[in-house]
Amino acid sequence: MRYNRQIILPEVGEKGQEKLGLARVLIIGAGGLAAAILPYLAAAGIGEIGIIDDDLIEISNLQRQVIYKSNAVGKSKALEAKEMALSLNPSIEINAITDTLNAKNAIPLFEQYDIMVDATDNLHTKYLINDACQITNKPFVYGSIYKFQGQVSVFNYQNGPTYRCLFPNEFSNSENCVDAGVMGISVGIIGMFQANEVLKMVLEIGNVLSGELLIYNMLNNDQQKFDLLRTNLTPLSRLDFEKKYNGIENSVLEITAEAALEEINNSDVVFIDVRNEEELPKINLPNAVQIPLSELENNFAKLDSNKKILVYCQSGIRSKKAVEILKNHSFFKVQSIAGGALKLEEIIATNNAISVS
Amino acid sequence: MLSVKYFGAVAEKTKVAEENFSLSNQSLQELVDELEQKYDLTSLSYSIAVNQKMVQDKNSYMLMSNDVVALLPPFAGG
Repeated sequence: MRYNRQIILPEVGEKGQEKLGLARVLIIGAGGLAAAILPYLAAAGIGEIGIIDDDLIEISNLQRQVIYKSNAVGKSKALEAKEMALSLNPSIEINAITDTLNAKNAIPLFEQYDIMVDATDNLHTKYLINDACQITNKPFVYGSIYKFQGQVSVFNYQNGPTYRCLFPNEFSNSENCVDAGVMGISVGIIGMFQANEVLKMVLEIGNVLSGELLIYNMLNNDQQKFDLLRTNLTPLSRLDFEKKYNGIENSVLEITAEAALEEINNSDVVFIDVRNEEELPKINLPNAVQIPLSELENNFAKLDSNKKILVYCQSGIRSKKAVEILKNHSFFKVQSIAGGALKLEEIIATNNAISVS
Repeated sequence: MLSVKYFGAVAEKTKVAEENFSLSNQSLQELVDELEQKYDLTSLSYSIAVNQKMVQDKNSYMLMSNDVVALLPPFAGG
């Protein structure tokens, strides 16, 4: 019998196994943390596991995202993760969602699960998860890594504190693994701690890290816990939640071509053309560089993250992807020019007040 | 005597994980202001704990002998 080795534990038993089978857990992110969380939750028999990520597997992921195969580079993480989990345990349900968590899907998605697990790699999504969990009244297991240190806690559990109680300042910078670097083992250990919290919550055993922040240091094995109180913040209404995150997602993402052209003489602004060299029309802007989208990730050194970066492509689609990439690499002052080069050309042609060399 | 522990990106700036300071009659906020100046921490965001408990109101907390202060920035990797 598959679960025999845990059923014989007095803390688990048949009753505990039943609880595991009825539990529905959503893992947000299918990267390094998920690579430890997913297999162990699947192995333990969590009845339904969702995994949401729109990323594709890259070779540099394999140093820590150990559930993926070398011959699967280029494939969808969520789909590969599902395959791995189902081949480990075909008796459970796995929902792979090839999407990004956002203002529109967060609340409907959270309503379908009991526990959310934050396996993300950026602060913005942690606040989104936190707020959606408050609205849907669900707990989430927080985990994060900075080089050789990790943090774990459980938020919004049985009226416990939230992520905002711990870190009220939403608009700060923090490096993720791509920027700061990480060993696979470090992110794996923190992911295991998160899986451990999920299992304690489902089985109702042990002490859940609610109201406590655990910080673990891989280099010296120092473990610290900090007590945390709920600061009684009123959750957003659903309408305000959508407005806030839609607002952040859209306005931060795009700038109108008109507004972009107002900045051409601003020395704190840089324009990036992410089209291929041969694409026309060329827009001759004084403070501009051409970096084709496919080469963007190799050229961060050319960019100053203190400057405001305005990205354009032909019509405004590729530039949005470029903005996403830049934001994931700690370039926070980035926007995509709506309408792209075609719109820019149109405005320059009709507006004699704009002079472009 | 009190000790201050640094984590994550804060420790990168201070270049040490822990330091001791002699106690003077100051609030937690005053100590934090000194550290921000000393290590140029103003661009970083972090929360503060004293003796393993997160502290929200730094102004009204007066530091005492043997206090252990911790500067905790949010981590983002995953």
